Amino acid sequence: MKTRIKELRKERKLSQEELALEVGTTRQTITSIEVGKYTASLVLAYKIAHYFGLTIEEVFDFSDANEF
Amino acid sequence: MEEFRTKVKRRIILASGLTLVAVALGIYAVFSLQNVPDDATMSAGFISGFQFGLIMSIGILSMVTVVKLRRALNDEIKLKVLYNKEHDERLKTIRSKAGQPLLSITSVLMIIAAIIAGYFNIVVFYTLVAAVLAQLAISAGVKLVCMTKM
Repeated sequence: MKTRIKELRKERKLSQEELALEVGTTRQTITSIEVGKYTASLVLAYKIAHYFGLTIEEVFDFSDANEF
Repeated sequence: MEEFRTKVKRRIILASGLTLVAVALGIYAVFSLQNVPDDATMSAGFISGFQFGLIMSIGILSMVTVVKLRRALNDEIKLKVLYNKEHDERLKTIRSKAGQPLLSITSVLMIIAAIIAGYFNIVVFYTLVAAVLAQLAISAGVKLVCMTKM
């Protein structure tokens, strides 16, 4: 799944470690989500979006989810 | 976080106790090794060595755990990192895919069984130790694969 996490992080000059600490996860998980290897749970997606002050749809690209 | 702090304190007490027990058993093992009869078989020596190695490993690991947890307890960020690492959803998924929670319990039980069996039948001892090593190696392999894929 594509996300805007990296872009949003760069805008705010935030490291993966700092974001992970804020949203209650590990740096490795943030890396995996950014490169699309791992799909975050609803709770983690909400925490990340909430941290950036955006909605889940604004951070995560759900266009792939519509493909059957 | 306060609840986790209490949990960490409890773990420190447990690990400290384990270290003390391991040290006591280690000292006892060192002195009992001096009383090995001249006609002792190689298998008997191997089992004693295995037990001593196991005790020392438990002692060293417990000591490292105490130091690590104490450091985390004195540093709010380190404590939060530890909390995040333990509650990380991706790591939980990887661990469960590698069958780690159950495998750790069965491995410990099998090692205990191997040590007890070693006093009666050396073949059973070797078989159980080989089985534990094999299942731990497979689990570690699955975990590594999952970590690179997820």
